[in-house]
Amino acid sequence: MSIRETLIDPLVNRNPVTLQVLGICSALAITNSLDTALIMGISLTAVLVFSNTAISMIRAFIPNSLRIIIQVTIIASGVIVVDQVLKAYAPGMARTLSVFVGLIVTNCIVLGRAEAFAVKNTVLMSLLDGIGNGLGYTAVLVVVASIRELFGAGTLLGYEILPLVSNGGWYVPNQLMLLPPSAFFIIGFLIWAIRAWKPAQVEEKEFKEVRVRPAVSEPVLAARFSQ
Amino acid sequence: MQESPPKALAVLLTVALVCSVLVSVSAVVLRPIQEANERIERYRHIVALTGLTEPGQALDDSQVEAAIEQLDVRVIDLDSGAFEDLDPETLDPRRAASDPDRSIAIPPEADVARIGRRSRHEVVYLVYGDPAAEAGQSGRFTRLILPIHGQGMWSTLHGLVALDADLNTIAAVTFYEQEETAGLGDQIESPAWQARWVGRRLFGSNGDFRFRIAGGVVDDESPAATHQVDGLSGATITGNAVTALMSFWFGPYGYGPLLERLAAGEQ
Repeated sequence: MSIRETLIDPLVNRNPVTLQVLGICSALAITNSLDTALIMGISLTAVLVFSNTAISMIRAFIPNSLRIIIQVTIIASGVIVVDQVLKAYAPGMARTLSVFVGLIVTNCIVLGRAEAFAVKNTVLMSLLDGIGNGLGYTAVLVVVASIRELFGAGTLLGYEILPLVSNGGWYVPNQLMLLPPSAFFIIGFLIWAIRAWKPAQVEEKEFKEVRVRPAVSEPVLAARFSQ
Repeated sequence: MQESPPKALAVLLTVALVCSVLVSVSAVVLRPIQEANERIERYRHIVALTGLTEPGQALDDSQVEAAIEQLDVRVIDLDSGAFEDLDPETLDPRRAASDPDRSIAIPPEADVARIGRRSRHEVVYLVYGDPAAEAGQSGRFTRLILPIHGQGMWSTLHGLVALDADLNTIAAVTFYEQEETAGLGDQIESPAWQARWVGRRLFGSNGDFRFRIAGGVVDDESPAATHQVDGLSGATITGNAVTALMSFWFGPYGYGPLLERLAAGEQ
């Protein structure tokens, strides 16, 4: 795969959220405002770049039987560092995100990229793959959070876009948008839209439909009932 | 891929060592900045109760520092109610509460706030309306800010109460740390509900503790309204816990001795 593909593909063509449907938990929880979504996206990208690079660097030495343990150790260390940095330089944001920064450890995207990519590819490609997938995740969060904050609170990044009735404007905020289920709907619509645009992403059916032919042909059946 | 157990173990140990160094360094290096943030955050809650700043005004860190400089921060001995000559910066009542030398066990029948032990010392904040007035000199304080805490439904509730100079009227209140039921009990953090406390009185005319969180909406016209705050619907247990912790902290094991001393004119 070329450098360009590694970096650009995860944005839409192989997006970790909309194609692989990973990382949904945090996408539901922290997308009620755009600023938390951005910080979460940056945090996950940082962890992903760090873990992908580190794991790729030592990929020749990782014993196969212990590889998950080693990968999770590296990921967890990266997450703790990111959490500490957030608590030091963005304390308000760290309080809002609370456990969700810590939960990046269990985010399937991070371990998924380590297992699927970093253990088999060069350091440079793993780094680019980390950036690409991090940005793909961030892009989905930003889209979902923009919709939720705009229609749920009438603001974007805290700036008023739609003047609320409570502030003398005309917009009645949709409270559902601030609740986690709305993220489910929005991600669902997003996946639908992307798959309508790129039909190659549509999954194959898990079961084949079998048409059972009636033993008696339809005109005969109709004739029987009309009697 | 190397599979022999000693080599595998060596790789594992190396990774663990490098990772632990990374984590420790980041924790140690960033610790002072985080502590400064926590201190500013604590100050921010206190400054909001002083009445010296506009309500709802967003203050930056230096403004918070400047406002806290105007306060007279004192350490008190809770048992005697006397001011102690200790550095308030080094005192951590929360940590002291688990240290047998620096805390007392509260008798179970008096422990309505269900906190078990409490620190012997507490940090209180005296607000002077006139910033120029020196502590202990001319002019009495205009507000007294007291930290309170107690067991709620799921978590320990931490808050601050500001009393007016009559040591009876609530000037402001805040609860800034709690993990009560989302959407119900956690409404004790709501500014609208905390605003309902302003002007309520703690004690009746004969000095008995009367304040409580009501079981429903308080009729402002009723005589009980001076001592009651609307309950939060769906959060009866949290409301009762707030009532209990208030009665504990303004009773004999809380700030009772301090209030008696201050009422008698000692400072």
